[in-house]
Amino acid sequence: MTAWIAGALLLFFVFCATGLVLSSLGGSRYAAIVIGWQGALCSVMLMLAAVFRLMGAQDFDLALWTLNGWGSLSLHLDALSAVFLFTAGLVYLSCSFFVPDYLLHYFRNRYPAGRYGVLHFALMATVVLVLVAGDALTFLLSWECMSILCYLLVNYEEAQQTDSSAGYIMLAMSEAGFLAIVVAFLVVAGNATGISFTALRAASGDLSRPAVWGVFALGLFGFGVKAGLVPVNFWLPRCYTASPPAFIPVLAGVTLNLGLYGIVRLNGDLVPGHDIGTGLVALIVGSITALVGILYATTENDLKTMLAHSSIENAGIIVAGFGAFLAFRNSGNAAPAAIALTAALYHMANHSVYKALLYQGTGHIEAATGTRDMDRLGGLIRLLPALSVVFLVGCLAISAVPPFNGFVSEWLILQTFLRSAILSSGLVKIVFALCGAILALTAALAVTCFVKTYAMSFLGIRRGTWKVNKALPARKWRFSLMILAVSCLLLGVLPTYVIPVLDGAVQPLAGTSATAALVPPFFTATPQNQQLPPAFLQDFHNLGAQTGAGAVPGRGLVILLRGSEQNPVVFAMSPSYSIIALAILLFLAWIVVGRWTRRRTVEKRELWAGGIPRLLPEMSYTATGFSNPVRVVFQAIFRPNIIEDTRATVGVHFRTAIRRRRDETHLVDRLFFHPVGDVVGWIARSLAAMHHGNLNAYVSYSLGFLLLILFLYRLA
Amino acid sequence: MVTTPSFPSEPPDVVSLESNVEARFETAVSVSQRRGEDISIVVRRAAALPALCKFLFGDTGCSFGGLIVEERKEDWHLLYLFHLPGTGWIHVTLQLPLENSTVPSISPQVHAADWYEREAEDLFGLRFEEHPRLGDFILHDQVWQEGLAPMRRAFDPGQVHLERCPNQEWRPNLVVKDPGAFAMPVGPVYEGGLGESIHFLLETVGEDVIRASPRLFYKYRAVEKIAEGKAVSDGLLLAERFAAKSAFAHSLAYCQAVEKATHLEVPVRARRLRVVLSELERLRHHAGAIEAICQSTALNVSEAQAAIIEEQLLRASCCFTGHRYLFGLNAPGGLRRDFDGPACQALLAAVEAALARLRRLEHRLRYTSSFLDRLEDVGVVTAEAARDLDLLGPVGRASGLANDLRRVWPYAGYRESAFEVACEKEGDGYARLRVLFFEAQQSGRLIHQAIEALQPGEVWAEGQRMVPGPTLGWAEAPIGATVHWLRLDEDGRIDRYRILSPSFRNWLGFHVAVENFAFQDFPIILATFGLSATECDR
Amino acid sequence: MASWFWYGLRNGIQSTRYPQAPELAPGVSPGRPLDTLFPDAAEAARAAANCPVNAITAVASFANVDFRKCIYCQRCHFGAPDQLHWDSSFEWTQAHSTPGGYQPLPGEFSHSLHVIVVDAGDCGACLNEVKQLNNPLYNMHRLGIFFTPTPRAADVLLVVGPVSENMRGPLVKTYEAMPDPKRVVAVGTCAITGGVFGRTFVSAGGLGSVLPVDLEVPGDPPPPLAVLHGLLAVTGRKQPAPAADNFHKGSL
Repeated sequence: MTAWIAGALLLFFVFCATGLVLSSLGGSRYAAIVIGWQGALCSVMLMLAAVFRLMGAQDFDLALWTLNGWGSLSLHLDALSAVFLFTAGLVYLSCSFFVPDYLLHYFRNRYPAGRYGVLHFALMATVVLVLVAGDALTFLLSWECMSILCYLLVNYEEAQQTDSSAGYIMLAMSEAGFLAIVVAFLVVAGNATGISFTALRAASGDLSRPAVWGVFALGLFGFGVKAGLVPVNFWLPRCYTASPPAFIPVLAGVTLNLGLYGIVRLNGDLVPGHDIGTGLVALIVGSITALVGILYATTENDLKTMLAHSSIENAGIIVAGFGAFLAFRNSGNAAPAAIALTAALYHMANHSVYKALLYQGTGHIEAATGTRDMDRLGGLIRLLPALSVVFLVGCLAISAVPPFNGFVSEWLILQTFLRSAILSSGLVKIVFALCGAILALTAALAVTCFVKTYAMSFLGIRRGTWKVNKALPARKWRFSLMILAVSCLLLGVLPTYVIPVLDGAVQPLAGTSATAALVPPFFTATPQNQQLPPAFLQDFHNLGAQTGAGAVPGRGLVILLRGSEQNPVVFAMSPSYSIIALAILLFLAWIVVGRWTRRRTVEKRELWAGGIPRLLPEMSYTATGFSNPVRVVFQAIFRPNIIEDTRATVGVHFRTAIRRRRDETHLVDRLFFHPVGDVVGWIARSLAAMHHGNLNAYVSYSLGFLLLILFLYRLA
Repeated sequence: MVTTPSFPSEPPDVVSLESNVEARFETAVSVSQRRGEDISIVVRRAAALPALCKFLFGDTGCSFGGLIVEERKEDWHLLYLFHLPGTGWIHVTLQLPLENSTVPSISPQVHAADWYEREAEDLFGLRFEEHPRLGDFILHDQVWQEGLAPMRRAFDPGQVHLERCPNQEWRPNLVVKDPGAFAMPVGPVYEGGLGESIHFLLETVGEDVIRASPRLFYKYRAVEKIAEGKAVSDGLLLAERFAAKSAFAHSLAYCQAVEKATHLEVPVRARRLRVVLSELERLRHHAGAIEAICQSTALNVSEAQAAIIEEQLLRASCCFTGHRYLFGLNAPGGLRRDFDGPACQALLAAVEAALARLRRLEHRLRYTSSFLDRLEDVGVVTAEAARDLDLLGPVGRASGLANDLRRVWPYAGYRESAFEVACEKEGDGYARLRVLFFEAQQSGRLIHQAIEALQPGEVWAEGQRMVPGPTLGWAEAPIGATVHWLRLDEDGRIDRYRILSPSFRNWLGFHVAVENFAFQDFPIILATFGLSATECDR
Repeated sequence: MASWFWYGLRNGIQSTRYPQAPELAPGVSPGRPLDTLFPDAAEAARAAANCPVNAITAVASFANVDFRKCIYCQRCHFGAPDQLHWDSSFEWTQAHSTPGGYQPLPGEFSHSLHVIVVDAGDCGACLNEVKQLNNPLYNMHRLGIFFTPTPRAADVLLVVGPVSENMRGPLVKTYEAMPDPKRVVAVGTCAITGGVFGRTFVSAGGLGSVLPVDLEVPGDPPPPLAVLHGLLAVTGRKQPAPAADNFHKGSL
């Protein structure tokens, strides 16, 4: 098996390199074809490598060259990397069909597609290198290259951008995060024998408690920059909005995962520690991130910015799940820890798929109508019917509606919070309860947000003055969307097959098998099975849990959590059976309504609007109006600055215009970025006081500094 | 608390008003006094008109009656009616040659004149300079083309196959210019049609409604136009039937205008019976308004009880007069029929029963906090706004304007009656409700007094020859003060008929009350105003 | 709050027993003028000349009344000589003249009828009388008749007013938004013949020139029980008078 993995990875790098070279030659059309086909091949190789690892259950190691005094650079593909690799491959596969035509038809001849191709393949290579890095140096080098390539791709449409500082802020924040990561690795590697991950893992046991906390904090916030955690995520909405629509599915679906990968690898695998506090910190940070993200998403009218805030929300949920994992593991409860990590990884995969889907859909909308403002869209369901179906799948998935994938991961996350009852400390349980409440609120707000998105963009009447651009090629783009939509459905309907696959990554970190905790073997259980007593099995057999036992492979189709001895409750769900039941019910309804009831003629008549001549666009609900209650309820968080400007002609009586402008500073900006900026500015200004131009004083600075050094040397 | 307002003990001096006006405006106007009570001010220079009206309305404290536009043979006659309580009517007239149809607007100074000028522009084609918003008022732009001017003499109202070129691209004039703002349309067919046909646009950014603009005149039937050329008796039919819930009050104002033109002295018995019938109508109208308020707050039992009271009063009216809405009773010179003693006593008993039920209802409502919560501080019209827009009737009285024509210029049998005028200060929905209850009780008191004071006698007096020319009659209708102005020609036919209805004025106050309110308060504010679209639209 | 409940109960049931039993309470209806036989033709002619809307025609010494035009000016009721006889009925719904006569709505609607009321320039009296059907004294809900605010759920379109020009558009839209089967009832003299407003540039002079009318309920305004009779006639629970019938000959 390892040979096949090696082969797949080798082919991947070869295709990447050839793709890079080929797209730099030739014209735009040629480059687009290369991006499409080579990119698809690369993605398939990635997915194959991941599948081979997950099926074969054996790690892949490859030592590259050795550096003097540092150790050897190596590649190491374990199950955790494989999970992330598969997700990245899936997103890249879909993007391979999306990007080329987008480049050709949307960019026309303004920007050369060849340059994009070079950057595209380079980024793909560095992403994979980050994921399969086996030692700290490879990891750090490829991380840095990845950051720079991201910046270059974000700023690809430099002439087009309204906010050219967005890429720059991202680069600055990436560098700051990188510094933090480097320091973290240095602390860990201080006592280690080499720089490979195995050496670091071995050395982490000797780290003192403050050092572990230091590594944890640096890792969380350093990787949190890429992942989008509060308070280091203020670059994310700006940057996601400014990046070209061809790149952003990759940005949101692949590079965000790298930040999460870093957090899981460093804080979960290399330096897990023994403190329950680290888990709580991650839990709290994740929950707050989720809430802030979804609040701003719900009140945002621009589709891309809204999806950016939603990405922040999902990253927060994943990190909260990860925090729960740490808390459970460090307090000795391995099974709930496994469940929590499974939920986090599942949510990561789900998020990549449906976020890429939604971003591609947004790219379509923007190409078709020229606007992204939900206040000006509307009525697209009649103009772009195929897109509206797929976009609906994406909205349902992200709102955690069964039978799509969001439901499964959301359910698992909330279940882990319910399991917190087995922890001993009261304070910890309170924290879990509060964070669980925050996540529940987040889930509800997510539904609001995406109902608003879908309703305002697709339903109703057209509110703007745009016309649909009919000259768009539809077929290939549909394929890219279909891949992701079908993945949403499959990930949602077959969770009992996904969980054993994720288990390969979870088991080494948590200590027990998640499959054992979550998927009872209804299909394969023997009467001597200790885990499930026969009476229990019989109950579920009566409910139908063994339907399909002979025909369908695997352990069963039900996800089931059992409570403890004191609290013997059972939480069970099965999207697989649900979708079958749903299909049967719909079929029955169709029969009853269609065949057995009387034929009725349905006439379509004009919309009833109270008798006015026609319903004007200014009379239909806007996105701002829909989300206004959220703005009002959470006013303390938004703290808007409302400036009312009333234009009146003569006294109060004749009003001609009432304008209300809302100025809002983002919460994170207000609480973190601006104060930090103010402090830095203050420091700079104070230090600038030293630069008064007096030569004698400068000489005395040198003298004073020399005396200080001597004094310190004396002391030491 | 309902209080009786204190009127100034000394009425303002007529002479002083005349001399003030003359001193201020010198040659621009000429002042004279006629008929012992009314003051006539003829404006010689049109540019002085806004300043004069501002002086009368703002500084002297006159009340604005309305604008009456006439197209005479050679010129336009514009009559701006003011009145000062205790003095008389002040007729400010401006004459313009027919080809010059530009008039300086007085709306920037006298806000109450806003809609009168818009109406004149729509119906006559006059242009009012510096009026901020003209057009699309009575003749909706979506139905009619510009420049129709149906009230001009040359326009024949009978042309039923008029060429219509409506404006297909019509868009409403929205005030809130926020990018996320939208306007919720309500009507003209809403509430199952049990509300009158009005179109509202509620402009909002999501939660609160920032501004609501009603679009009226869906029920415009050109009553003033079709009255031209009719005999006085036929005009009376129109006066009764354009706003049937105040039919008796409007027919009374009309008849009093005609009686003035014929110098008629109405018999005492007829005057007292007119008081009985006016107050009966007011009592029934207020019961209906109270029912509408209870219905808007969804307090179903109280709505049902108020509805029972209204229906019983309608039946009592039918037993007493033969018609539930008191049609066909008034005639110039008195009443067309008499009522005998037992009928009056039966009416009194029915009224007493209704009043007792109303008292019980009021007492229960006063202690229902969920009901009061929905009315208090909702739809507030401040005293300044009420005075600025010169609101009439119960709406004005709830905001501190204690004007009641029955007290200020008693007509019919009100000179001999003793009653109190309601006055509240808060100007919110609850204040208007309290005013309605109080006035209902006072109506009962007036009916009682009038019936007790009835003496046998004639109910109708024959009129002498009608004097051609303009004449003015007024009454306090249930919604507010109404003025009917007539110009009769030599044959005794109507040359020009002008109805100044209280709803037309009070809808302006509605604009002020509906700003920054929650959407669910909208039907409540509408109900507490109790305005009639048909009375406004004519 | 609970005391409202008991207060309402204590007031008891006040609804009329119509249509199971005749309603004879005083004041429920102003009645209507009847065809009257006069001693001679001259008096009949004088009585006819009295009517400002020409609703009375004198045929020899008979004065015939076309109640569809009556505006209740009361000149033939009191206050002048040459008065007609009046009765106190209210069941005067009439079918509009359509070929084949009036087809009532099928049986499913007889106890579940939804009505939408459109105010097309009404003076306020007809609308108020229609509103009274909701009050406890008439309580049309016990007969299965309901008002609905949307035409999509309505079976009957009830129009009051002479159809002002500004309301013509909304009225036609309301009619077209109603699904079949539907019926149109014109309530009030204004909606039938235009009343005092007649046919002018702003008034269509009645509903007949705008929509296909099925039933007419004359009166200015018709009392609530007359409207109720009309609504019952829509489904055939009561019989309307046939079209353009010179009804109520008699009462000599």
